[in-house]
Amino acid sequence: MTLVLNRMLRHEVILGVLLVAALIVLAGQSEHFWTADNLLNQGRLMAEVGLIALPMTFVIVTGGIDLSVGSIFGLSAILLGVFWQNMGLPLPVAMVAAILVGGIAGLGNGFIITRFKVPPLIATLATLALYRGLAEGISQARSVRGYPDWFFGLGQGEVLGVPSQLWIMIVCFVIAAFILGLTTFGRTTYAIGSNEVAARFSGLKVDRAKLLIYGASGLIAGLAAVIFVSRVSTTRSDMGTGLELDVITAVVLGGTSIFGGRGTVIGTGLGLILMQALKNGLALSGVKGDGTIVVIGAVLIAAILIGNLLSRDGD
Amino acid sequence: MRKTLFLTAALGLTMGVGTAAMADSPWTGGDNLPTSPLACDNTPGAAAAMPYDGGAVTGAPDLKGKPIKVVDVPKLIGIGYFNATSKGIADAAKELGNVDAKTDGPTQANIDQQVSFLDNYITSGVNGILFAANDPVAIAPVLKKALSKGIHVVGYDANSQPDAREWFVNQAQFNGIGKALVDDMAKEIGEDGAFAIVTSTFTTPNQARWIAEMAAYQAKCHPKMKWLETVEAQEDNNLSFNQATTLINKYDDELKGIFGMTSVATPASAEAVTQANMCGKIAVVGLATPNAMKPYVAKDCVKSVVLWNPVDLGYAAMYVLRAVVDGDLKPGAKSVKAGKLGELQIINGSEVLLGAPTTFTKENIGNFDF
Repeated sequence: MTLVLNRMLRHEVILGVLLVAALIVLAGQSEHFWTADNLLNQGRLMAEVGLIALPMTFVIVTGGIDLSVGSIFGLSAILLGVFWQNMGLPLPVAMVAAILVGGIAGLGNGFIITRFKVPPLIATLATLALYRGLAEGISQARSVRGYPDWFFGLGQGEVLGVPSQLWIMIVCFVIAAFILGLTTFGRTTYAIGSNEVAARFSGLKVDRAKLLIYGASGLIAGLAAVIFVSRVSTTRSDMGTGLELDVITAVVLGGTSIFGGRGTVIGTGLGLILMQALKNGLALSGVKGDGTIVVIGAVLIAAILIGNLLSRDGD
Repeated sequence: MRKTLFLTAALGLTMGVGTAAMADSPWTGGDNLPTSPLACDNTPGAAAAMPYDGGAVTGAPDLKGKPIKVVDVPKLIGIGYFNATSKGIADAAKELGNVDAKTDGPTQANIDQQVSFLDNYITSGVNGILFAANDPVAIAPVLKKALSKGIHVVGYDANSQPDAREWFVNQAQFNGIGKALVDDMAKEIGEDGAFAIVTSTFTTPNQARWIAEMAAYQAKCHPKMKWLETVEAQEDNNLSFNQATTLINKYDDELKGIFGMTSVATPASAEAVTQANMCGKIAVVGLATPNAMKPYVAKDCVKSVVLWNPVDLGYAAMYVLRAVVDGDLKPGAKSVKAGKLGELQIINGSEVLLGAPTTFTKENIGNFDF
């Protein structure tokens, strides 16, 4: 047991060292980097990707993938506006409804994957197009604007000096870490990813677990969408295009194996922070956008190579 | 068997709902803001005087005549159009001599990334920001933050909400572009011709505004023209070509003209028409840079191309920003000096008008290189 835990933690330790090194270097490059103002602001900017990365960790640990989160994000965002402005629902009800639609969209993914045995890559590739198309069709590509001021508290406001959405992300992070690390459901998730057939024959409720995980993925994408709308104060049907790639990058950088069975929420958190720190720190020290993408790609490959080398030694 | 039936039914239902949602909505791709079509003859539109409606910067240091650091964040980098505006900005900065300007931005026209770029530059402490917005509302909070930190903000090409920036350099008025395009098309395909539009996305503010103005002007001045369809093609070359080809095949003889609404869509549509051997049968009218259109204009496949000069646009934006920093351009001004471009007129409260759009034809297109 401790052996397994050790091996899983090893990648996180490497990542932690890498992160500390990156933070020190970046702080040396720009005096603006290591300021409370900037760090809190970065927390605000990464909250959406961070939230969606949590259920994505579960998804990838089961050996699956969810490419549709960006489209669900766009669909929930646009429905928030439609529910509120076109259908006249009170804004709090519209917010809950938009998040629930995200959950339903996620359950739709889970249903297709478990019921029809469609590989997750294909199923969510299809719904990536489907949900985005619905978002554009429903919204008629019109933006919804003019939300009341209290609504912006969620995406632009602060609680005790810390951006509101950062609190939400921290709470979700703790819950996700608890579920994956310390509950039967978490063990089931690892079991599915390690060997799905064996998990099935061990009497684990594989399909139910998968359905819940993909549902949660959609639900959190919906939540992130509401936060994002509050942050940028408008809805557009093209919101969240390409978001899935940022999310998957953070998760994989965090040491979750794309083949399933291995990964932790803490790793995802570290991967996310490393990615955001690089983006922000490099921009502040004068590296242009295209250069930043190159560095992130290189770091991703390096982190995975190191992880692979070490896990081979461990075997 | 049951499973197959169920799957087929589900698929059918999804497609049915999807198609129905698309089909019963003949939306044009325009936005829902009020339009102001110009007169059908050449009477110029009356410009009503408006009070200054831009935002105010707070706590900006006095940098009159001193060196300043400026960042330019366009919608996206790496396309000809924004390379040209970026060149204009660099030219103006060099001419002014006391400006350190650089261009940086997302590689895709993505509002989320654009906001992050701006946020980082605000933190890094620039003195001025030039921007072309991917969304007028979504960009507003971050621009207001810049204003509140003493950073001067000037937009060009694509506006934000007026109170989120100080000035906006307007390349051409929307109703002027709408009129020029629809008149050109009517001249080529006749008063009862049918046309389709290839645009970037339905949410891109400039394109949506132009299309809305085109629809209003066409209804008023060329009521018999038939509006077939507006299709999205991002600002992607290959996708634009495919969309134009699809239009040609789908409508067959009915389609007489294609509008290209972006500097990418227009040449791609012209290429699609050329490859389909429909030159002379299907007209292409649109906004594009002259360099991209020279081959088609030379072959007589395209008669006229409409655009302002993007190098001048960037150049003017840089001069406006310098004037704001120096305190030479204040709310209530009637015009502003912009180097070699001379005095530029102020319209709509807080917009600087670059001038009338240029129409490039076979005769003059050789004189332009951008």
